[in-house]
Amino acid sequence: MIRAFVSGMRIHVVQFSRNPFDLSGVFLWPILYASIAYYLLDAKNDPRLLLAASLGAAVMLMWSLVVIGSSNALENQRWLGTLELLVAAPVPFAVVIAPICVASGFVGGYGIAATLAWGRLIYHVPLSIDHPVAFAVALPACILAIGMLGLVMASTFVLYRAALSLGIALQYPVWIATGLLVPLSTLPAFVRWIGWFLGPYWGFRAIRESALGSAPWPDIGMCIAVSAAYFVVGTLCLRVFVRVARARGSLKLT
Amino acid sequence: MNDLCRTYRTHVGIVRRRRTDVQALGGISFEVGRGELFGLLGPNGAGKTTTIKILTTLLLPSSGSARVLGFDPAREAGEVRRRVGHVFGGDRGLYDRLSALDNLRYFADLYRVPVREKRARIESLLELVGLKGRERERVETYSRGMRQRLHIARGLLHDPEVLFLDEPTIGLDPVGAREVRETIGGLRDQGKTILLTTHYMYEADELCQRLAVIAGGVFVATGTPAELKARVLDRTVIEIEAFGVSEAVLERLRALPGVISVSTEQRDQAEVVLVQSSVGSELTHALLRELEGTTLGKVIAREPTLEDAYVELVQTA
Repeated sequence: MIRAFVSGMRIHVVQFSRNPFDLSGVFLWPILYASIAYYLLDAKNDPRLLLAASLGAAVMLMWSLVVIGSSNALENQRWLGTLELLVAAPVPFAVVIAPICVASGFVGGYGIAATLAWGRLIYHVPLSIDHPVAFAVALPACILAIGMLGLVMASTFVLYRAALSLGIALQYPVWIATGLLVPLSTLPAFVRWIGWFLGPYWGFRAIRESALGSAPWPDIGMCIAVSAAYFVVGTLCLRVFVRVARARGSLKLT
Repeated sequence: MNDLCRTYRTHVGIVRRRRTDVQALGGISFEVGRGELFGLLGPNGAGKTTTIKILTTLLLPSSGSARVLGFDPAREAGEVRRRVGHVFGGDRGLYDRLSALDNLRYFADLYRVPVREKRARIESLLELVGLKGRERERVETYSRGMRQRLHIARGLLHDPEVLFLDEPTIGLDPVGAREVRETIGGLRDQGKTILLTTHYMYEADELCQRLAVIAGGVFVATGTPAELKARVLDRTVIEIEAFGVSEAVLERLRALPGVISVSTEQRDQAEVVLVQSSVGSELTHALLRELEGTTLGKVIAREPTLEDAYVELVQTA
């Protein structure tokens, strides 16, 4: 199963890297997000706020890359006619789908690094990290939390043909509910509750606290906890939704 | 398979949604012995692919039951998946931007091919399907025939006991189709159990030990190719190349004494009227008389083929 997982990640990264259009997006988006962080918050005179804004923009980009990357990859499986073959494979379907989401998460990890690097290069955003060790742990924890949320989303993509449209539609609600786009304090209380169930919320907190705060480890722990919960929920959803798709006969539909 | 049924449900309309049920399989039953190459013959939409998808765990039947090597594909999908291989016809089902080697490596890992055997297995399959030397090229540069052979290699990666081939030569040029048929023949000779669907008669005749003709989701005949052909051996087939024959004229032909069936088919630019009649009845003059005023080409009288048996079976279903 580990071999199928690693092989799946490799194949999806290679497949992704061979599409010039997708690749150009991955190079251009970090510049765009770094610019948003710089101009939107108008925090030029507050280096720590500027860094916080850059980190927020980087996590926003990461979520976009994961949700769009995994939904696009799933929709591609339908168009390529490989979805049925993946379902018919003897390994559990979660082991087939999870690498797609985690591979997108790694591309998202690159997105974080690239956004911060461009912010530093173009806008001189300071990169002073208060807890480097915690930051080094927070980053993969954030990738895992967002990647596993992608797995839960991917289970619905198996059921619905318009996976990419659904993925695009999910970008903004998660940005808003996790406080990446506007501060949660400006939103109704129930939105904060929703944020607590979302990986990007804890991922952003873990990264921000390790870079600027005092106590990053509880948030890193929450990243791991929600990742485990997502994996369980995603696996169960995949099992149920694949059975529904087999009953409906919708696996080969494009 | 025992009385297997499958119904698809579709919805029409946005505000007032109407539900339509389409029956793809209407209760089919058959058995395939170990080491046998069994063919499912039928026109488009007859239920061939639905049958294969149920047996390969991709679809659940609406009713009835199936067993593959003793396992139920609906409830014991994992056991079935480990033991069967599935090959589609057509262009899809491969990662186009990857090489054939990358495709095979990935599917070998998904199909749990042991690490120690993986390399040798891929090498021997590339040899078997004639892709040795081209395995590092991207699949998007492959011809349709090469893709089809790669599909077969993929389906054989985990050395399945049973192989399902769903129209494996569809859309291939004659040379490519012959190469694929040779590969399938080789697998049959190795003792693999194979279920093949096709609508090419000569393919079924050449490869299959037994056949079932399926139309409208039900079996209309089963037997060896020779047994199916024997159903029409008491007939003569007259082929008349004609242009613009109306349905009224065809009805008049059908009404002639001694005529068993009349059908038409398109061959290149010409329309061909196929008339099956009892052996001994001399119908050519009567047929030509009825076709007076129609532009005619060649007229040929010949013995019936498996295709004639198939057309007869499907038309009377």
